[in-house]
Amino acid sequence: MQNLYKPDLMEVIAVRQHTADVKSIGLRFLDAERARQFTFRVGQFGIFSAFGAGESTFNICSSSNWRDHIEFCFRKVGRVTEALWQAEEGDTLGFRGPYGHGYPFEEWRGKDLIFLGGGIAMPPIRCAIWYALENREDFGRITVVYGARTVGDLVFVDELAEWAKHPNVQVIQCVDPGGQTPEWTGEIGFVPTVFERAQVPADKAVALVIGPPIMIKNTIPVLERMGAKLSDVYTSLESRMKCGVGKCGRCNAGPVYVCKEGPVFTFQELQAMPMDY
Amino acid sequence: MTTLTQDALRKLVAQWMAAGKVCVGPVRVAAGTVLFQRLASAGDLLLDGWLRPANSIKELVLPRHEPLYGYRADRNRIELLDPPETVPEQIAICAHPCDAAALPILDKVFNWDYRDEAYNRRREATTVITLACTASDDECFCTSVGLAPDAERGSDAMLFDRGDGTFGVRTLTDNGRAALGDSTAKSGKTNPPPVKFDLFDAARFASRHFDDPFWQRHALACVGCGACAFTCPVCHCFDIVDERSGHDGMRARNWDACQFPMFTLHASGHNPRHTQGDRQRQRIYHKFHMYPEKFGETLCTGCGNCARNCPVGLGVLPLVTEIPHAEPV
Repeated sequence: MQNLYKPDLMEVIAVRQHTADVKSIGLRFLDAERARQFTFRVGQFGIFSAFGAGESTFNICSSSNWRDHIEFCFRKVGRVTEALWQAEEGDTLGFRGPYGHGYPFEEWRGKDLIFLGGGIAMPPIRCAIWYALENREDFGRITVVYGARTVGDLVFVDELAEWAKHPNVQVIQCVDPGGQTPEWTGEIGFVPTVFERAQVPADKAVALVIGPPIMIKNTIPVLERMGAKLSDVYTSLESRMKCGVGKCGRCNAGPVYVCKEGPVFTFQELQAMPMDY
Repeated sequence: MTTLTQDALRKLVAQWMAAGKVCVGPVRVAAGTVLFQRLASAGDLLLDGWLRPANSIKELVLPRHEPLYGYRADRNRIELLDPPETVPEQIAICAHPCDAAALPILDKVFNWDYRDEAYNRRREATTVITLACTASDDECFCTSVGLAPDAERGSDAMLFDRGDGTFGVRTLTDNGRAALGDSTAKSGKTNPPPVKFDLFDAARFASRHFDDPFWQRHALACVGCGACAFTCPVCHCFDIVDERSGHDGMRARNWDACQFPMFTLHASGHNPRHTQGDRQRQRIYHKFHMYPEKFGETLCTGCGNCARNCPVGLGVLPLVTEIPHAEPV
């Protein structure tokens, strides 16, 4: 009988430190057969674990086209992430998943894509950006606006430059006022303001907006002013989870289990849900 | 056997125990406290003089602490160790209809889409012999949630206390017949509690008045102890934690409760339900709106344990009967 809660064992194959307290880890299934048959959809999440410390929920922040490994990214803030922080190449971690719904890329085909991210919210956008770039002909213009409090808080910085080299891709980086360094060449300001300044037409676009609540709150009106429909504006909700499969009873936002019915929602869907997330 | 004396029932229990079955029934653990417990001997089984145990039989299918799997660490290699695949047959004796009905309700959440094998293994090994209720107290409200003192749902057999030291026996399933033979006793006298609230009103208020000050006002007394959830036959929320000892350890599932602030606390410090009012609302909302919407079942059997065990007089019945009826919808 299958044990729903038993994780796959995975080997740490790469560790990248992005900021003083953010790392991403690349993992490969120890079981070759499992590695071969494993698939997921960009936007889905996993439950990652350090044995002895516990499990935590993170987006799978690699593209689903990368068949040899998966990646996740975390900030060191608690018991499990402290233990994950210690992980080195060759160590064994646990993984359960993939869980939840991914981004509906089929429905996004033919549209412009706008990615708006703040701080540690980049990983669930990063996988979508890579996936879009790997299927470049399916989408129109791609705009990325990524901001953090300070230059030192930006993650996946080297990849930002790489994305900008692709045709018809605009990448705008920004930091909050006061967060810049003397060498900073990006924008200074908050994501919604910087995005509005860029005057990106949004009427034929799908937008993916992930970040702190204040960023999301101020970004939605800007998107609407630029012509986006709320049914075309997506986000990925965060929630404390334990089981990931709709049983442990905590991640509901109103009547909806974020783990099974999310984590991807449009803002039109969110508007119909009570403030419970 | 259509009729069993108390002695005959105890003899049967002793036989089941001798055959290796785990028998659980009401036991007086202290003066004034009766709990469903694993019987050490058939003589411990309390056959009268109690209204309802302070806990429920959900522990048979969802233990308060359950190892999901073990692990052994050797430097950076991990080996996972499965828990035993088989669980012993278990028989609940003298459960009430509000306990028995909980099991088919719980089956829904543990089997939608993903099958929870740990739960199902225990569920399949469980036989429930229910004792129909002949009395109720102020906290009982089974009739308000569609049940009754002799409701058969979830029971494999039902006993009717004839009041003269004998029980009428009605067997309802193959498991029940295996334990007690084929038997079709008539219902005895029951004393159902009156209907105390309108289920539809409760569901409507919970779904449409999410931010009503009602929740905050009534939660002021709540100390967040979680007794309501732990003694509830259908509250099933759980935590998954690691327990480590040296290089070995296990990942276990423990009961959790929506009344604890940690239940929904994010690592960032954000908490979607940061007040006790939010958490009290969640309990009512889950039981009367969310679960019915997902599974077509009210997540409450009207046992009244939440109110009986609450140190400050809260619980489903006290809350739901306070719901304002004249609220605009």
